[in-house]
Amino acid sequence: MFRFLKLLGKNLAQGPSTDPFPAKEAHTPERFRGRVVVNPEQCVGCRICHHMCAGGAIRIEDNEEKTGYNFTVWHNTCALCGMCRHYCPTKAITLSTDWHNAHTQEDKYDWAAHYSIPYLACAGCGAHIRMLPPQLAARLYAHSPVDMTDLLKLCPSCRQLAAARREEISNDTHEQE
Amino acid sequence: MNLFSDIVVRSPWLYRINAGSCNGCDVELATTACIPRYDVERLGCRYCGSPRHADIVLITGPLTLRVRDKVLRVWQEIPEPKVTVAVGICPISGGVFRGGHSIEGPIDRYIPVDVNVPGCPPRPQSIMEGVLLAKKIWLDRLNGIAPGHKEERHVSLP
Repeated sequence: MFRFLKLLGKNLAQGPSTDPFPAKEAHTPERFRGRVVVNPEQCVGCRICHHMCAGGAIRIEDNEEKTGYNFTVWHNTCALCGMCRHYCPTKAITLSTDWHNAHTQEDKYDWAAHYSIPYLACAGCGAHIRMLPPQLAARLYAHSPVDMTDLLKLCPSCRQLAAARREEISNDTHEQE
Repeated sequence: MNLFSDIVVRSPWLYRINAGSCNGCDVELATTACIPRYDVERLGCRYCGSPRHADIVLITGPLTLRVRDKVLRVWQEIPEPKVTVAVGICPISGGVFRGGHSIEGPIDRYIPVDVNVPGCPPRPQSIMEGVLLAKKIWLDRLNGIAPGHKEERHVSLP
C-alpha cells in the first residue's frame, strides 16, 4: 500500500528527468555529428568530399581570377553522414558538435559556410597549385632522406623533375666511386 | 476579459504531415512530444489529430509525387494564421533524394514555409528550437505584427 512512498522518495532523490533545454544548454555528446567545418589551411582541393557527398552539399569552384577556389557547404542539404570527413586525405573536414540549426525561411540559402582558398604559384614553373600540407608530406617522405621543405612548393611535374635530377646526381657520384 | 487575454499567452497546437518521409524525422517528432526527457508540452504545445485544430504544422519528407495532392489538401484545411515548419533536410532542399524521379519537392515550391530545421534527422532539441521560433512567428501573426501573407498563401491544387 505504501509503495508509492518508495517511488516518491526515489523521484525526489533523482530530480526531474526532463532536459531543461530552452532554459539551459543541452548536453551534446563529444562525438555528435553536427555542422560541417572545413580547415582551409589543410584543404588541397582534391574534391573527394564533393564526390562522396550524398546530398550534394559541397561545391568547389575556381574563383573568377583563377587565383583560388571557393569551397561552399550548404547545410540545408547536408545529411551529416560524415563521409566527407572519412574520405578527406588531409583531415581538413571535421564535423562540429553545433546543432543549433533552426532558422527562418529568409535565411534558407544563406545557411551555408563559404571558404575562399587561394592557390600558390609553383616555385619551378609558376603553375597554380595547392601546397601539400606538411602532415601529409611527412607521411609521404617518411622513409626518404630527402629534405622535403623545398619540394612542398613544387607542382607534381616539377617534383618529378627534381626527383630525376637527384637520381642523376647520385648515379654520377656512384660512377665516380 | 481584455486584460485576461493580454496576460495569457495562447498555446499553439502542432500537427504533423508526412510528405513521403523515411520516418526518421517522424520518430524524432514523436520523441520530442512523448518522451519526458524532451517534453514539448512544457512549451505550451501539443500534437492534435485534426488539421482543423492545428496552428503550427510540421512537415517531414521530400514531397513525393504520390502524396503531393493529399499534403496540399490537408495543409489547406489548417486555419489561418498558421506557421509551417520544414523538419529535416528533405522538405527543405530534397536532401539525398533531390532529383529523384518521384520527388516533387522541395516543399517551398508548393507551400510557403516559415521555419527550417535541417538535420538528418534533426535532434529533438533542434526541433524544439524550431517550434519555439515558429511559436514566436505565430504569436506575432496573431497580434498583427508580422504579416500573414494570406494572399500569397493561396495554393492551387493541380
